[in-house]
Amino acid sequence: MLRFMGMRMAQLAVVVLAVTLLFYWMLNLLPGNPCVAAFGGAATQEQIAECERDRNLGDPVIVQWAKWGGDVLTGDFGKSYLTGRSFGEAINHALPRTLLLLAYSQILALGAAIPLGLYTGYKQNSVGDKITSGGAFALLSTPVFVLGLVLILVFAVRLDWFDLSGYQPISAGLVAHFKVMFLPAVTLAAGLLPVYLRLLRTDVIGTLQEDFVGTARAKGLPVRHVLIRHVLRPSSFTLLTIFGIQAAQAVNGAIVVEFLFDLDGVGSLLVAWVAAREFLLVQTLVALIAAVFVTVTTFVDLLYSVLDPRIRRK
Amino acid sequence: MTDVTTTAVTGSQPEVAPRKHRHNVALWLSVGWLFLVIASAVLAPWLGFLDDPQKPLAGQPEEGPGWSHWFGTDQLGRDMFARSVWGGRLSLSIAGPAVGIGIVVGGVLGVVAGYFGRWIDLGVSSVVNVALALPALVFALFIVTMLGQSYINVTIAVTILTIPAIARIARAQALRFAAREFVTVAGMMGARWPRLLFREVLPNVVPALASIAFLAMGIVIIAEGSLSFIGVSVGSPSITWGNILAAGKGRLEDAPHIALITGGVMFVTLMALNFVGDEMLRRLDVREARI
Repeated sequence: MLRFMGMRMAQLAVVVLAVTLLFYWMLNLLPGNPCVAAFGGAATQEQIAECERDRNLGDPVIVQWAKWGGDVLTGDFGKSYLTGRSFGEAINHALPRTLLLLAYSQILALGAAIPLGLYTGYKQNSVGDKITSGGAFALLSTPVFVLGLVLILVFAVRLDWFDLSGYQPISAGLVAHFKVMFLPAVTLAAGLLPVYLRLLRTDVIGTLQEDFVGTARAKGLPVRHVLIRHVLRPSSFTLLTIFGIQAAQAVNGAIVVEFLFDLDGVGSLLVAWVAAREFLLVQTLVALIAAVFVTVTTFVDLLYSVLDPRIRRK
Repeated sequence: MTDVTTTAVTGSQPEVAPRKHRHNVALWLSVGWLFLVIASAVLAPWLGFLDDPQKPLAGQPEEGPGWSHWFGTDQLGRDMFARSVWGGRLSLSIAGPAVGIGIVVGGVLGVVAGYFGRWIDLGVSSVVNVALALPALVFALFIVTMLGQSYINVTIAVTILTIPAIARIARAQALRFAAREFVTVAGMMGARWPRLLFREVLPNVVPALASIAFLAMGIVIIAEGSLSFIGVSVGSPSITWGNILAAGKGRLEDAPHIALITGGVMFVTLMALNFVGDEMLRRLDVREARI
């Protein structure tokens, strides 16, 4: 088990090192002085000199890269020269919004997918199943931005139930908070729902064939009880796994949704940094996100085998 | 006795027959729609009835759909039908090559990794796993801003995105077929690895890849659409579905048809691609092949 963990971590480390090194080399090929670009063209000689010192531009590429890695590992994530904000400040501002958005959308997606998955798996090929599966198929074919636009048009523009005024923190009142967060969360959840639903349905159909389900039914337990206590439990592992995998894709969705609803979260931050050519900050952030995700998925895999002894023996 | 069997047979028939029929109808509708979209995209410059998509005041600004302008007009009075067709032309001319190259490169990587295993597999799988853990859109954003917002660069960016997902599926397929009896037997008859790989394993992986191409096409269209929606795809005078939607976003209140119709065209196209892809996977009985 430890060997498996170690293997995954080593893989991650090697690939992150290789990708960032490649990236450094590519940045080096770009024409122009990145420090001049970083200030948006309006910088004094001293500022540029300081920036060049800070980013070790005098050194060979591989030394620059090694120093960047050392800085990141020791918690020095750099700063934006254009806005003067440090990496930490920007993240502090953006991360809570994105985390709340992701959390709400996961709750909505799971909250809808679990009952629907149990139902469609249990009543396989019924009319309800066909309608639900058809709906899931349609959702899977809807780009986030198209769905978001339709929801905005119907619920914010026509019905005027929700606000599009940008982010409101929880401290501004729960009503104000959810008036701006509900639609984005639904939009993001709509992309996750069909993935969860399809998976859960297949899983439930498989589990319903198992002997222990037959036994539970034969004992006279009510269907609802069997579905929730006996059928859902093994499927929770599958959901856990896909949860980890989907997390990376959720960032894609978050970028578009934050743009659409003006939320100014991590996704917007990435877009803004890319647009301002703050490539080093983007690289740092993406490397951190990748590290977090691979750690989470590895941890989930590990949890999986701890919770289900059958996996361990394989 | 005979009576019972006949009723049983005829009794079960209506349940099977219409279902199959309906599937066929949906399948042919999807194929027909795709054919229409692709044909209009390819033939756009030669279609006489199509307005110039860039000509302002072809009609009143923000006119709703009607007889003279099927999809209405946008805020500058440009014909939305022509813009949708030209938008599809650009979106498809990015997605087509991207998926083509992605299938070839990803397919080769995956098949080689699945067939040879050992360190080749370890190398390919490591890169694929980490690539799949990276937020794809950020990566594409990155490439496009670094290299510049041109057709070639957007195509490069989305092509790179397709490769890991396709490689993973090709690898799973190759693994499955490399262990089959006919490959073992061919090996025992003295065939070397090039023959085993290209004549035995690869032809069996190709059908799966062909169906994946449809699903991947949908994903690339969404990826390019997201890029142009946030304003980071091919530069401004060019028309893509994504940038029509981005422009329509600001006009939802007064002219919702701009966003709704383009969104609808995109949605139907994606549905058709997914439907054809899914149906091919089902008929070819390919498992483990979701992107």
